[in-house]
Amino acid sequence: MRISIRRVDNATIFDISGDIDLANSPEVRKALLHEVRDNRRPRVVLNLSDVRYIDSSGVASLVESLKASRDIGSRFILVGLSGPAREVLQLSRLVKVFEIYDTEVEALTG
Amino acid sequence: MERDDPGLVSSEPMISVRDLHVKYGATEILHGVSFDVKRGETLVIMGGSGSGKSTLVRTLIGLEKPSSGHVLIKGKDVAAIREAELEEVRKKIGMSFQGGALFGSMTVGENVALPLREHTKLEDSTIEIMVRLKLEQVGLEGFEYYMPSQLSGGMRKRAAVARALAMDPELLFFDEPSAGLDPIIAAGIDQLILELKRAFHMTILVVTHELASAFLIADRIVLIDRGKIVAIGTTTEMQSSIQPRVRQFLDRVPESETAQESDYLRALTEERRFGRA
Amino acid sequence: MELVSQIGGSVTEGLAYIGSLASLGGRAALDLFIGPFHGKPVRLRRAVSQAMDVGVRALPILSLITFFIGLILALQSAYELRRFGAVNYVAATVAISMTRELGPLITAIVVIGRSGSSFAAEIGTMRVTEEIDALETMAISPVDFLVAPKLVAMIVMLPCLTIWANAMGILGGSVFGVWQAGFTFVRYLQVSVDALILRDITTGLIKSLMFGATITAVGCLEGLSTGVGAEQVGRSTTAAVVKSIFLVIMEDLVFTALFFFVGAQ
Repeated sequence: MRISIRRVDNATIFDISGDIDLANSPEVRKALLHEVRDNRRPRVVLNLSDVRYIDSSGVASLVESLKASRDIGSRFILVGLSGPAREVLQLSRLVKVFEIYDTEVEALTG
Repeated sequence: MERDDPGLVSSEPMISVRDLHVKYGATEILHGVSFDVKRGETLVIMGGSGSGKSTLVRTLIGLEKPSSGHVLIKGKDVAAIREAELEEVRKKIGMSFQGGALFGSMTVGENVALPLREHTKLEDSTIEIMVRLKLEQVGLEGFEYYMPSQLSGGMRKRAAVARALAMDPELLFFDEPSAGLDPIIAAGIDQLILELKRAFHMTILVVTHELASAFLIADRIVLIDRGKIVAIGTTTEMQSSIQPRVRQFLDRVPESETAQESDYLRALTEERRFGRA
Repeated sequence: MELVSQIGGSVTEGLAYIGSLASLGGRAALDLFIGPFHGKPVRLRRAVSQAMDVGVRALPILSLITFFIGLILALQSAYELRRFGAVNYVAATVAISMTRELGPLITAIVVIGRSGSSFAAEIGTMRVTEEIDALETMAISPVDFLVAPKLVAMIVMLPCLTIWANAMGILGGSVFGVWQAGFTFVRYLQVSVDALILRDITTGLIKSLMFGATITAVGCLEGLSTGVGAEQVGRSTTAAVVKSIFLVIMEDLVFTALFFFVGAQ
């Protein structure tokens, strides 16, 4: 799994590729929470188009980040959900909880 | 950790059992059992009580040692590998025991969190969310602070399934999922298994003696009797089987009285005193 | 001939049993001391709650028993000492008997009754309800998870309880001392303390440490080897109590003999 971070205007974009599982979800969590809580970015966008598999620890990390961003009134957006990733969120009835867009442009302007 | 694409059909079976013999003391329970479980399928092992089906599932997970033969899980022989390797295999398996086997001294939430606390370096806050997700998946949202003793039989089974799911296993084992439950609650557990199968593309192995439940959830069925496999096949193949032993089991014909009179007389008068070794 | 072979059989069985006790205790100890260096923290919370159970909750009954034992000891020894006009030696006699022998032994027996049996019952029930199997399939070692915290709790708490028991015994003796032997309470305590040397206390504590390890190993081993069925839990519990008491007395004999001969030099 690889995380790369881009910062534009008021938003931070995370590009994640590979699988998110028990072994590396703490890393994802730490990076996301740091951006949300410490850097207080008003918009954090997570690009998951290169993520094939995300396990429940990954989902839990996303939920935590979403909660943290709600707490400070910023936005936490998921983009480019691949089939399996979307399915996992659907199963946990989280598709309606997260703010989800198909493309990065929509996420940055929406 | 590499994951195989669930959509990809792998030729290597998830579980491969070869000529398995298991003994308790001097009595042999399984007499040479062989079958495969394919990735992503739901296989039901069906048989009457005393058929050896529970012994079979216990051997698959390494709780009983085979006297000969092999059990390969993802290519690893569970009876031959070192303890540390066996533990790695077991982390990929979730098992739901007959009575649930929840730890009575811990809350439902602590039960589900236990494998995560033991085997991962996840933060407590992450584990807490995961526990609630798992409980929600089995229909027990809001029950994390209950003690197992406060739950009904069906709920306890669901909690046990949540615990089995904790580590996102690739393999899920059920030992008699509907034992001791009334028909409606048992049907609920069957539905849960079907949902999990649909949702997670997991490889599921169920041991049961319930015909209806077996035909509802199975892709393939293994019928086992007196420690030997009688038949293996898809549900339709089983239903149309004309094999006498299969028919006898499916049509619930009681054991015929085949014992010879001379055997009977010998059994009655055998020179052995009770209570003496 | 049959008798000889039966005795031989029992001896072999006994040795094998002690072997499995040592192996279980050894594995638990290994988990305790090596585990933390391999990223497996000792389960502190579980150990603390065990220690509460084994130690703190045993205090009322242990206090009561050892108080009376001290009093009985004073009465018994005074019966003999009186004939030599040496009733004032009663304080020293009680203090030494308690710290060297009865303190550790009575404490061990009370703890066997309370905790050794409950270890066997708890683990035996977990065996019957497949909880031990569940631990193993979750790749959690039952020894690591169940036995190790109990072992820590026991080897920490038993010496503590023994010290407490010694004190209560002396207190019990003082009742007789003040009432019949003309001591004041403070004087009685003073004489008791003067009679003791550090060695008396340490030998008692070394014994209690060994007793603690034995009680844990027997209780847990009986629990783990429980057969199928609820009535087996009862059998395990009884076996744990009987075997623990026997082994504790044997150990007591060995250690007392050892201290006697080493001390003689």
